[in-house]
Amino acid sequence: MIQFLIRRLILVLPVLLGILLVTFTITRLVPGDPCYVMLGEHATQASCNEFKARFGLDKSIPEQFVRYVFNIMHGDFGNSLKDRRPITLIISERLPMTIELAFLAMLFASIFGVILGVVSALNRNSATDTFTMLFANMGVSMPVFWLGLLLAYFFALVLKGTPFALPPSGRLSATMSLVPLTKVWGITDATGLKAFLLAMLSNSAIMNGLLTHNFALVGDAVKHLILPAVAVGTISLAIVARTTRSALLEVLGQDYIRTARAKGLPYALVVRKHALRNALIPIVTIIGIQTGALLSGAVLTETIFSLPGVGSRMVEAILGRDYPVVQGFSVVIALIFVFTNLIVDASYAYLDPRVRVK
Amino acid sequence: MKRILFVGLTAVLLASFVLSACGTPATEVPATEAPTSAPVATVAPTEAPTAVPFVGEKMQAPDCNFGGNLKAVEAVDQSTVKFTFCAPEPAFIAKVGSVEAFNIYDSDYLKETGGDATKINENPVGTGPYIVKEWVRGDHITFVPNPTYFGTNKPANSTFILKWNKEAAARLLDLQAGNVSGIAEVTADDLPTIEADPNLQLAPRKINNFLYLGINNTYPPFDNEKVRQAFAMLIDKQKIVDDFYAPGSVPATQFVPPGVKPGYTDGYVDTTYDVAKAVEMLKAENFDFNKEYTLSYAERTRPYFPQPTKIAQAVQAQLAEAGIKVKLSMEEWATYLPATRNGDKELFFLGWSEDYPDATNWYDVFLTGSSKAFGNAFPDIVERIQKAAQSGDPVERQKLYDEVNKLYAQHVPTIVIAHGTVNQAYLASVQNVKIGPYNENFDLMSTSDGTLIFSQDGEPVSLQCADETDGNSFRACNLLFSKLYKFTTTSIAEPDLAEQCVGNTDATEWTCTLKKGVVFSNGATLDANDVVASFSAGYDYNSPLRKGNSGAYQYFKDLFGPKVLNQPAE
Repeated sequence: MIQFLIRRLILVLPVLLGILLVTFTITRLVPGDPCYVMLGEHATQASCNEFKARFGLDKSIPEQFVRYVFNIMHGDFGNSLKDRRPITLIISERLPMTIELAFLAMLFASIFGVILGVVSALNRNSATDTFTMLFANMGVSMPVFWLGLLLAYFFALVLKGTPFALPPSGRLSATMSLVPLTKVWGITDATGLKAFLLAMLSNSAIMNGLLTHNFALVGDAVKHLILPAVAVGTISLAIVARTTRSALLEVLGQDYIRTARAKGLPYALVVRKHALRNALIPIVTIIGIQTGALLSGAVLTETIFSLPGVGSRMVEAILGRDYPVVQGFSVVIALIFVFTNLIVDASYAYLDPRVRVK
Repeated sequence: MKRILFVGLTAVLLASFVLSACGTPATEVPATEAPTSAPVATVAPTEAPTAVPFVGEKMQAPDCNFGGNLKAVEAVDQSTVKFTFCAPEPAFIAKVGSVEAFNIYDSDYLKETGGDATKINENPVGTGPYIVKEWVRGDHITFVPNPTYFGTNKPANSTFILKWNKEAAARLLDLQAGNVSGIAEVTADDLPTIEADPNLQLAPRKINNFLYLGINNTYPPFDNEKVRQAFAMLIDKQKIVDDFYAPGSVPATQFVPPGVKPGYTDGYVDTTYDVAKAVEMLKAENFDFNKEYTLSYAERTRPYFPQPTKIAQAVQAQLAEAGIKVKLSMEEWATYLPATRNGDKELFFLGWSEDYPDATNWYDVFLTGSSKAFGNAFPDIVERIQKAAQSGDPVERQKLYDEVNKLYAQHVPTIVIAHGTVNQAYLASVQNVKIGPYNENFDLMSTSDGTLIFSQDGEPVSLQCADETDGNSFRACNLLFSKLYKFTTTSIAEPDLAEQCVGNTDATEWTCTLKKGVVFSNGATLDANDVVASFSAGYDYNSPLRKGNSGAYQYFKDLFGPKVLNQPAE
């Protein structure tokens, strides 16, 4: 198992190199000029030439690439062209919010998706099944921006003034603030990876609140994430429900299930221990893929709910031709997918003894 | 062999992790800086007391051959600063009073930071009504009143929070839910909702702007003046305004909007919308009705271009009435703007919102041939514009602009379409909403709980506005910094840091007397050297204070250029 994990980790290197090469080449090949986006209507050719020289964009593309890879080897992802802030700093600000949103959304999608799928499979071809799958189909087809605005309208306006009212946008209430953990814990010598991890924890409102025992902050952060998590999680929920239903139906038709029933085992036990566990592999796979996708940023949800996550910053960077941000974020997203897949693969071994034996 | 390869790859992987962990200090993550927060202002003076004799600093060009207009800025004494120009600069006060790029910084603070936007963002020091309490990246900036503010009226609210949300519909929801006190850039679609809601109030912002249909006169058949004149007759501007613009918007009848004086010609009669006559003219010029022409635009909503695709389709349909085939080409802003500037588009939509209230910010920007977008400039127009720009006599300037307006209708370098109204919305409970053309005057507004929250459409890029051009950054900077002059609720400049600025007869020299006792939020006292340092940072290419953000300092070039001091040749 350990050898398997190490082998997979080593494979990350060529994947990363490939990602770097592809994103670097694509960003440079796409027409457009970052200078004109930064300076807007005021941009002139002369100003743009100066801009390119300042940020090294006047060098040849191979030279830029070699320099970029060399800097990455030293942990330097470069600075944003938009505001000259280090990419690592921007990642440490954006990624925690995306992780929080993805976690809550997948929690919502997994719990309700599996329940709906099981209920649907156990009541195959009944009214419950039809209703559940109708709900699942609606979930898949509903545009997230529409659902998001609808949820925001209902919970912020219709329920305004009631205990069920929820904020329609933003990450925290204006009165809340995130105190850096280095300040709380009096750490002054944090550098490199340690500083990055501390910044990540500081910028995760939920973790920050838990670690500093500021439960009002945790509550406020969760309150702000409920609507976005439901909006973005609904699609995943529908997919998980449909996958669970079909996987469970397939397993329920197997001989060993009939055998278990024939032995006189209670139906609930047969479903829970024999059927559901064997149906879990496709469900875990789909949950893993969905988690990876959500961790790489839920662009529309982040935009509608004004959440400062990876997706919205990535799109902003693409439209603004902010090359270092696009490249840096692409690497992070690739890593997220690689590690999510790794976790999913590892979970197969836990769920299916045959994988372990192989 | 496999084993060796395996061990080797493991070693490379581990080495890369170690290298990453031992990153260079330049990329270390300052965890303590997220969110950035500025300490509350201290009143420990950092500048020399009066016992030390004042040594006035000076930024000066050796001659006027460097390509710009601002020849020198000199601190004559502690509270007097003199600006010398190569050519008359009658719009000096309008320029330095409206654009946030001309904020005045403490010279010692500029030296400390090198004018670096990333450092200024962490702890902005200004003389404005507010200081930054914290900037939670991606979410909001909290401002509190500046205890050292020199203005007679202290802010009417105890906390001002600037938030952002790209989506107009989401901003409106926030306002309706009471989560914010005011919102920017209300869309035309949302106006009826706001007007029908007794809990909300609409606040129009009267800023001059226009949308135009650009024509590149190097592309046949648009090199033919008669063809351009016929096209001008084919656009039903009133219908476009009625269908797609917010109330208060008007069709454009001449090159500048009605508020630009001198510039706007009273009683001027615009080209009449007349399809039959236009078709007749086009036929007389052997216009090719079988050819398909491309009309380009970018889907980028602006106050002057509220519904890009719908407006482009409407113009396409209007031209089709005359039998002209037009293909619409929607492009991304990042490719669209360079392409139009490079002269690659025959027909295109662009627009403009004025930076300062003077005709030079209109005629000189578009009609003097500084951009290849319109093809060749017209010498008779350029000559009059240049004369008018250098004249300090409003009557003479108006006479020249009247002639330009006539020539504009004859040559049709562009077709101006509409002047849009910009609307903001506030909760009805917000008191004293008095929106000016260049800022919202947030310091005048009050709420019952003392907290005012305003939502705009994007996060400020930086708080070093000397090197920014975007409105979202300017809105934040306006709260923190002051300029020599300011605009509040009207288009008339009022002295701010300056008691007054007086020009000589030909407007080539402007002498400004500074207010006494003005203190920056770090405790430093304002003097003439601060003005010299602030202008040097933006205008002197070799200044060590010129780190900025993009490094372009574009407004210094646009308004006092086109080149700045010591700018290297291309």
